[in-house]
Amino acid sequence: MKKIIITIFGGLLLFSCTNGFDQVVDFTEVENPNLSEGSVVGVENSATILLSGVERELAFALNEILILAELGSDNYVNTQTFFSQFLDGLEMQATDPDIRDTARDIHRLRELALFGLETVGPGDPNYNTDIEAEFNFFAGMASLYFGMYFSALPGEPFGVPLTDVQHYQNAIDFFDAALALNAQPEYHLAKARANYYLGNQSEAVSAAQAALSLSTNFDRFALFDQANGPVNAFENALYQRATFDDLQPLPTLDFLDPKYSFLNTDQDAPVHYLKAEEAYLILAEANLADGNAGAAQTNISDLLDLIATREVRNIDDSIEQRIEVDPGSRPDNAAVVVNGRTGLVLDRQSGNVNVPSVSGTSLTAGDISSFTADDAGLELLYRTRQEVFIAEGLRFADMGVKLIIDENEILLNENISDGDPGTVPVIPSFISAVIPDLDAITYDATAGTATTAIDLNQILVANKTAPEVLPFH
Amino acid sequence: MRSKLTLMLTPLLVLCMTFSFAQEKTISGNVTDQNGLPLPGVSIVVVGTSTGTQTDFDGNYSIGASVGQVLRFSYIGQTTVNRTVGSANSINVQMQEDAQALEEVIVTGQGSGIERRKLSTTVDVLNEEEIDKLPANQIDQLLQATAPSAQIRLSSGQPGTASVIRTRGPISAATSSTPVVIVDGVRVDNLNSNPQLGLATGGLQSSALADIPVESIERIEYIKGGAATTLYGADAANGIIQIITKKGKDGRSSAFFESRVGVISATRDFLKYERTGEALFANGFSQEFRVGINGGNENFSYNFGGSLYKDDSFNLLNEQVRRTFTFGLTAKISDKLKYQGSFSYVNFDSNLDYNANTSFSRFSAFEGAGRGDLDLLTDEEWQAELDRSNRIGPLVDNTATNNRFTASNKFIYDFTDNFQANFTVGIDNRNTVQELLQSNALLVALGSIAEGTTDQGSLSRALRSSFTVTGDLNFTHKANFENFSFVTILGGQFFRTTDRQNQLNGSGGVDGTRSLNNFSEQTFADFVLENANYGLYFLENIGLWDVAFVELGGRLDRNTSAGNNTSALFLPKVGATYNVSSHDFYRDSEFSNILSTIRLRGNYGEATNFAQPFSQDRTFSQNPFLGGPSFTFNNPGNNDLISETVQTTEFGAELGFFRDRLFLSGTRYMATTKDALFTPQASPSEGQFNQIANIGEVENKGWEFELRATPIQTEKHTLSLNVSYNTNENLVTDSGGAPSFVVGGFNVLGSVVDEGQSLGFLRGTAAVLQDDGTYAFETNSFLGDTFAPNFGSMSLNYSWGKFNLFANADYQFGGKITDLSFLLRHLRGFDNTGIPEELVGATSPFNYVNFFVFDNDFLKVRTIGASYDFGEIGKGLFSNIRFGITVSNPFNVTAGGFDPETTGSGISAQNGFASGGFAYGIESPPRIFMSSLKFEF
Repeated sequence: MKKIIITIFGGLLLFSCTNGFDQVVDFTEVENPNLSEGSVVGVENSATILLSGVERELAFALNEILILAELGSDNYVNTQTFFSQFLDGLEMQATDPDIRDTARDIHRLRELALFGLETVGPGDPNYNTDIEAEFNFFAGMASLYFGMYFSALPGEPFGVPLTDVQHYQNAIDFFDAALALNAQPEYHLAKARANYYLGNQSEAVSAAQAALSLSTNFDRFALFDQANGPVNAFENALYQRATFDDLQPLPTLDFLDPKYSFLNTDQDAPVHYLKAEEAYLILAEANLADGNAGAAQTNISDLLDLIATREVRNIDDSIEQRIEVDPGSRPDNAAVVVNGRTGLVLDRQSGNVNVPSVSGTSLTAGDISSFTADDAGLELLYRTRQEVFIAEGLRFADMGVKLIIDENEILLNENISDGDPGTVPVIPSFISAVIPDLDAITYDATAGTATTAIDLNQILVANKTAPEVLPFH
Repeated sequence: MRSKLTLMLTPLLVLCMTFSFAQEKTISGNVTDQNGLPLPGVSIVVVGTSTGTQTDFDGNYSIGASVGQVLRFSYIGQTTVNRTVGSANSINVQMQEDAQALEEVIVTGQGSGIERRKLSTTVDVLNEEEIDKLPANQIDQLLQATAPSAQIRLSSGQPGTASVIRTRGPISAATSSTPVVIVDGVRVDNLNSNPQLGLATGGLQSSALADIPVESIERIEYIKGGAATTLYGADAANGIIQIITKKGKDGRSSAFFESRVGVISATRDFLKYERTGEALFANGFSQEFRVGINGGNENFSYNFGGSLYKDDSFNLLNEQVRRTFTFGLTAKISDKLKYQGSFSYVNFDSNLDYNANTSFSRFSAFEGAGRGDLDLLTDEEWQAELDRSNRIGPLVDNTATNNRFTASNKFIYDFTDNFQANFTVGIDNRNTVQELLQSNALLVALGSIAEGTTDQGSLSRALRSSFTVTGDLNFTHKANFENFSFVTILGGQFFRTTDRQNQLNGSGGVDGTRSLNNFSEQTFADFVLENANYGLYFLENIGLWDVAFVELGGRLDRNTSAGNNTSALFLPKVGATYNVSSHDFYRDSEFSNILSTIRLRGNYGEATNFAQPFSQDRTFSQNPFLGGPSFTFNNPGNNDLISETVQTTEFGAELGFFRDRLFLSGTRYMATTKDALFTPQASPSEGQFNQIANIGEVENKGWEFELRATPIQTEKHTLSLNVSYNTNENLVTDSGGAPSFVVGGFNVLGSVVDEGQSLGFLRGTAAVLQDDGTYAFETNSFLGDTFAPNFGSMSLNYSWGKFNLFANADYQFGGKITDLSFLLRHLRGFDNTGIPEELVGATSPFNYVNFFVFDNDFLKVRTIGASYDFGEIGKGLFSNIRFGITVSNPFNVTAGGFDPETTGSGISAQNGFASGGFAYGIESPPRIFMSSLKFEF
């Protein structure tokens, strides 16, 4: 009897072991729910999904770039914010995390695009030239941004720092590769911009013309995901009132603020980072440089026609007070005259206001004749560039200012030492002389007059021969 | 309703009546100690029955028993006495001290308890009587100012939030300093920071420490790390808080009912603007009912405890409700097998105001001059502010509900008198539901959206379920020879934790709903952490002539949060203790009357902390982006990742004078965290996230002193005083070549890890006055250590017959802290106090952050209380009625004008490092005036 019981019990025990019953008491098995490389590489459609990830990364990179670039320029001033504590005064420190994150996100954009080109794309049976062109385009955008915002940075992990000129050249190579695969107007424009900042006038002009030849109203924009993120951080800074943010525009640009406002619960306002307007402005500037005012005026006329077709949003901006902590301390009604000009300030407390969300300008058809091939014409052109590109980060690059290499890069990258080019801020002398005045205004609320301390467009044009600015001069 | 109540109370009454009337003959008498002093609280039972009683405050008792039955007199520290009932109606007993029984048994490590004098390590103990006196409902508040060598810093006055706890300095840059909490051998969730998917309230989150069951606690042992925690393995380097619950006692059944009522008043000591208090504060009330029943006999004993608590806080918004019950039992299944079980349930509901890092927070906005300089506002302007605040307050809707079940089962099998097996298995399950509703009305009131907007409301719900299962099997063998004794413990232990979090968000909603179904846009996120830890451990404690003891032990430890290239860690411990005063010759000498205790001890031990589960893996993310999937790089991965190991050496001595009425304990510790887990910044050019790695080394050294004195001890009066003083020197001795990195605060004014500095020191750009009167701006300047290097506590206890008075306080000095509210006031142009004129407006305030950093010194009286025992009342219906009053947080003395403890908003990552270097935007813990009435049956 005993033997029978032991045999049955033994049998049951053995069965338990063979039937996976050990799982019941195995407490050591854990499962990481995240994706491993095997789920990303060598998988159908993975290139398309990665491309979406690259687009998303561009949104992160723009979030970093725009805050620094707009605060660092005369476009916006910080009145209450933890967005960049230093750039408003063009103070650049290697320890500044905002500069670090800007560099990191652009590097990340490049790394993701290259991961697509080199690893994910070739492993995906559904990979095609359109996607490959896009990977090249985004790798080029990373190089373009390196050139626009840094005087020197590595072009690969722990790499030797490349100058902005080298980065622009790399960008052009990537854009050429993209164009060879799938010609798009924005690829041409990106190439035009790289050449513009390089001062390669003829290449810039031909690329701008090539862009316009494909489309006269193209607009490449970065999308932001209101629901899942990233949201448009600059929209938070301009429009929302939630965190410690209150960025204020120069009063001459008041009517263009906020370019980004709440769209819907799905999408946040897009950033239009390559649009046909830029091609017209490059062409106009080249024509002015060549003394061809008439052609420039045609370009400007085309520009105005294009701007007239762009979206103008009718928004309730009544929560905007100029400023939040001290309402009424900055120009806040339509009657205010700024630098002797009217119509530049909106009254946000009397119903909705109309604000351009792609491009806007105070320029009118009547002003076109003022685009003369002299400094006055150039000033007007730069005023228009400032207006059209507000909140898009180009003004900072137009000022010839460059950020520096982050201290972590200096410490971890054996190719870089403190004091090397790229670790020292680049600020043209004529800019550093007016840093405190970049955002300074005087405002007499009673009289309704506001005056900016300086006219930076005038200063830029006055120094047009300096290598850092007005590249065609 | 009334009849229902009667029905419910009847069993209780019957229970009480049963104890009072089952008798044949009344025996009475008096029980004294060996000095002839009356012994109150001696348990007297009629052996073999459930009849029992206790002596009163004068040592008197009376009990019903029959001739021939045996009365058993027992009391902690005294030899148990049995007396047979004869013809006499009076039995007086003089009890004798039991040297062996007096030895406090510590449940440290695993296995059977070991007498404290055999241990080379120190343990702080809080017993039932001390716990009972304190008005606190949270484990951290119980330990504050009562655990002599712990720093327990109340980081907020908001309900459900908990303290930053640390003992021997910051040992890790990767994890919080919160000790592991073990209830009856079972690990429980101790998350004391934001969960990964916590909601955006501004910083504060409800803490798991707030709902650890504190009812029915028999004792709490606070084990500080080092060799004492080696056998626990895994993440025990921060120390262990071990809670042992009541499971009833062999003896008379007893019960109690207690009612506590309190008034809660905001602490206004630290307000910059009195008007802040006017806008937000209002006295509230707390109410609590507690019941307890316990009893048993030789074979079965039980304890039940339950409580209901509610308060409406010190302001117009907060409320908290707590419902608990606990049950514990011991059953003797056979002569050899015993079972101990405990179960507890805690329900905790609370709500939070917005705080600190959000401009939605009214408190931080007011105090940070976000609404201007409140003192300068005209009455009219202030009234407008008040109106605005009063519009916002009722619309703030941020709630948390926690439900926690903890169960422990322990089987004890005695093979022989000297050989015992213990098997423990238990679970802890804590479920949290947090909701943050931002209605359109709230957003409009805050000025965040335009008036008239009706479709931008949002609701977020964060769900977290933490499940821990613990199992332990060990064997303890004890052997005694003439001059040697051996305690051998061999065991195996595992625990497994699962933390599942889900966050559900709805936006684009109208007002009037709490269902996510009603929001036009719905998103979610999830997060999972899983870890299994298992180890084998052994301990050999060898006694030499019963005066000196040598300990040798170790643990082979493995967990699933280590990389593929790693193997199990062996954690050794060795120790020795020498009880000089236990020598017979010493005890017999006259000198022992003066210096009654001399004890020397030293040990070395290792304990670990593991990195966050899955941080060893290389992963990718597929994020939802504009309605489709999108890949990106996630964690870079590290196959060599392993737990960091804290190697601790300590030496100490205990000296007791005049029969230990003056008792001094001193310990020197030196702890080095090897393979410290650092997460430095990656090089930006890599374009990758930062990866945790074992690259650092951290050193902590210090002294721990404790003085316990009983200057008065007479028949009627007892006065005892405890004072502790601790020091800590902390240094990052190696950062593995990594650049310094920020672990808290802001990057431009951060809490930083850097070689040659203390962990989490404050760093920023300092404006330094030069000889020529100008200022030089020195970036990355050292601005101070965030951990106060000197700290301690003090307490007083005075008894006069039935009256008891007690008070406790704690203090710290030598550290630094940032006053962020001041920084904000300055940024907003409203407060330039102490800042050189030539700096104001000349450059960014972040170039002179040294002016916002202050000493974090304080001395705070935490509790003052008194109680009176009325003794037996109502013809024996009540064995005692105790009336007590306490006041919490009555006095604060601080170096600066702000509260250096309100740092609760500074922990960014789940279970992340908390430097405590930033005080900001959170109300201080309130003053609570509480009275209690306890009826004991």
